[in-house]
Amino acid sequence: MSLLTIVFKNLRHRPTRSLLTALGITVGITAVVALLGLAKGFETSWEGAYKARGTDLIVARITSRDPLPTPFSMKVGDTLRALPGVTQTSGLLADLMSIEDSPTLIVAGWENKTFLWNHLRLNAGRLPAGEHERVILVGAIAAEVLKKKVGDKAQIDTETFEVCGIFTSESMSENGSVVMPLGSLQDLTSRDNLVNFINMKVDPAMSADELRKLRDTIAQRLPGFQSFDASEVGKANIGVQATKAMSVATSLIAIVVGAVGIMNTVLMSVFERLHEIGILLAIGWRRRRIVSMILLESVTLSLIGGIAGTVAGVVSLRILEWTPILRGRITPDTGLPVLGGALLVSVLLGVLGGLYPAWVGSRMSPTAALRYE
Amino acid sequence: MNDTSIAPLVEARNLAREYDRGAIKALGGVTFSVRAGDFVSIMGPSGCGKTSLLNLLGALDTPTAGQILFDGRDLRDIKDLSAFRARTIGFIFQSFHLLPTLSAIENVQVPMLEASLSRAARRERAAELLRAVGLDHRQHHLPAKLSGGERQRVAIARSLANNPRMLLADEPTGNLDSASARAIIAMLQQIHGDRGMTVVLVTHDAGVAAAATRTLSMLDGLIVSDTVSPGPVAPGASPAGTRG
Repeated sequence: MSLLTIVFKNLRHRPTRSLLTALGITVGITAVVALLGLAKGFETSWEGAYKARGTDLIVARITSRDPLPTPFSMKVGDTLRALPGVTQTSGLLADLMSIEDSPTLIVAGWENKTFLWNHLRLNAGRLPAGEHERVILVGAIAAEVLKKKVGDKAQIDTETFEVCGIFTSESMSENGSVVMPLGSLQDLTSRDNLVNFINMKVDPAMSADELRKLRDTIAQRLPGFQSFDASEVGKANIGVQATKAMSVATSLIAIVVGAVGIMNTVLMSVFERLHEIGILLAIGWRRRRIVSMILLESVTLSLIGGIAGTVAGVVSLRILEWTPILRGRITPDTGLPVLGGALLVSVLLGVLGGLYPAWVGSRMSPTAALRYE
Repeated sequence: MNDTSIAPLVEARNLAREYDRGAIKALGGVTFSVRAGDFVSIMGPSGCGKTSLLNLLGALDTPTAGQILFDGRDLRDIKDLSAFRARTIGFIFQSFHLLPTLSAIENVQVPMLEASLSRAARRERAAELLRAVGLDHRQHHLPAKLSGGERQRVAIARSLANNPRMLLADEPTGNLDSASARAIIAMLQQIHGDRGMTVVLVTHDAGVAAAATRTLSMLDGLIVSDTVSPGPVAPGASPAGTRG
């Protein structure tokens, strides 16, 4: 027999209460996994868009005011193209727009005849022919939402565009967006010669050290601009970060509710067992062993809830992913950071919830505790 | 056993214990000593302070005034009284105080978690102790499935778990029928005789007290007599001889 034997037997002695507490934690951790999985998936999806396009570096002006970076002159592309090691650049203008009766979609303008277009797989139709042609390419998911096929007309703001193609991309966020030639979007939004981003391709032989130097040069030559690689772009995007912050905040509420629940249960369990704690103190158990026992009970409950919640969270995300209304629009990330983080949170919940009851239990005088029946 | 040249194992000096800021005076300045190998009973009516005295001797409580020396060392100087209790004192209570979720053999092992014994050694020792109290066949029974006498025998086995230097028994027969009570007292006498264990037993029953080799009688928080019997006496026999 060990301390853990006593812990498990104590929990098994009150099966209904133990199960209900674990269930409370399960619900909390399910929410944490689902929310963080969705937020992380959103961030990954943004990174995926840049990776899919073969972009090595993205340059933008980052301000805290807008979800999309502040537009700047396309001439910045000329400056970047002249830097050593830079092989290609392509300007990109993006905006969130409502098309006809649809919910808001990302509408992007890509510099025509550049590498940005290369990764698209055309399901139907063709690519735009000119920089100012009034045509749009619609992602497969966006086509379902907008109920558009090649040849249909689509009203965007005050102008009508013809759907010239339907595409599929490796990036889920692109599949849910609309793309048109850069010039057309500049015309539509009255942003002549302006872009939000410059996508850059660099010499494939460039070392990580040379790439770092290139980024330093960009920072020196273009004050107020920042360069990111694909893995950083989600972190730099205010929209992505706002979504993440909201998920974390909601998760925190779930965690606090879980911690209060477990504290309540463990505290009740300690008060019910003051007599037993008195026996343990009387026969020589050190106070820190009493603390360990109570904390272990608390952590065991929360870990059981955490494991069940993690499984339930992953299952919930899979169900959401396959729900017709959300299919193709969300790309939950259930990688190790999310799942490991959720389990870590559940352990912390157990420690937090058990600390006060453990303190109460261990501070009892043996004779006073023995008087409780 | 009563050789006064032997140094006392426990010495109480002017021991006082008050509760509720002096409203209740449980002990009013008690002085006595117990030598190693003594079997002492503390007898007196309910409320005379015998359990308070036992709690102080076992370092479960601290005196309002006075001091207790164990092997010459003042208990006030011992920082970790839990460790002291675990190593030095074995407790036997009237209500057995077994943990309801653990089997007999597990209950006996509980104090051993404070000793540096391997899991196998703990189990082996607990089995040996249960065998010694005649409960070999009840090792895996929960306390609820045991009779009162059997529960008290498990408690006795538990009190011996860390091979303490002194057993403190608080009304150990108080919740037992007479046959079980006789068996428990006989067992304590055997432990005292075979192991030379120092035993201090609290009781209000003169018959039980007579099983000891020395009886301290208490009244209103004071020791009023200290009687020595010539040798081990069966429960119910009359005490003989008086000290101090």
